[in-house]
Amino acid sequence: MSIFKYMIKKLIDKEGMYFMTKMTKWDKFLIIFIIISSLIGLYFVKYSAFNEGQKYIVVEVNGEEYKKISFGPNMVGKIIEFNTDFGHNVIEIGEERVRVIEADCPDKLDVKQGWISSPGEIIVCLPNRFVVQIISVNETEKDYDYISY
Amino acid sequence: MNKIKKIVFLSLLVSLGLALNIIESTIPVPFVAPGAKLGLSNIVVLTTLVVFGFKAGFTVAVLKSLSFAMATGSFSGLFYSLSGAILSSIVMYIVYKHFNNYFSLIGVSIFGAMSHNFAQIAVASIIMENIKIFSYLPVMSLVSLFTGYFVGLSSIFISKNFEKNFFKIIT
Repeated sequence: MSIFKYMIKKLIDKEGMYFMTKMTKWDKFLIIFIIISSLIGLYFVKYSAFNEGQKYIVVEVNGEEYKKISFGPNMVGKIIEFNTDFGHNVIEIGEERVRVIEADCPDKLDVKQGWISSPGEIIVCLPNRFVVQIISVNETEKDYDYISY
Repeated sequence: MNKIKKIVFLSLLVSLGLALNIIESTIPVPFVAPGAKLGLSNIVVLTTLVVFGFKAGFTVAVLKSLSFAMATGSFSGLFYSLSGAILSSIVMYIVYKHFNNYFSLIGVSIFGAMSHNFAQIAVASIIMENIKIFSYLPVMSLVSLFTGYFVGLSSIFISKNFEKNFFKIIT
């Protein structure tokens, strides 16, 4: 029986069917290499110029777009007040970032949140129905609903 | 192995791959990456490559993606799957043929998964004319590392069983 199996094995080997049955050292190297390189890639994608297109601030009050502000060198340090029907908020624009510095809402969560800088980040002041968010032009471009593979 | 037997067997493999493809397209993938799939049908392709050689494996891969496009009617996805199938079967065969002292089928399958990703993302960025789609590559390759590992593992078992049970057909 074992000779028979051996013959089969030989026959198949001649056809070229031969492979390792256990994970080899090189497999592990490959896996580690891919994990490291894709983590580096993820880091690079997140923190590089890759994601930075045209960023701008959108201020919404009561669900409607109230004001659009674009970043620029002359906007750094600018303080803008918003007095709406729902309350009073003040935002400060920094270098590629924005924060709320004053609000008349009770808990001041929006002031405590601090700076936001990357596209998609958002500051919300619920009592005043006041929303500050950063939008990127590329972000909206990338926003396809579905790709089928 | 005579010709008709081979044709019948390969078409069975194609339909097996097609069935796996359709089944896995109904499984929602709980990952962040859009378009990430399990790649179950790559088990069929890899096993065919190992057992029958390059020509058969390549044919099965191409026919599988063609028939998947016909079965589901999503011809927009045809280019993605076809390019992935072609590149990954070529890469898997090269790695399997010339580096099988170093890599087991798990490594071969991971190579295939990576090249599949790369081809799909390259084609997507050409079609949409947006190089930034490559920023999906790290996420996709992390996900496909796991799927590639399991595809390789199951291909090892299946190829072993081929050796045992179907030696008359394959020789």
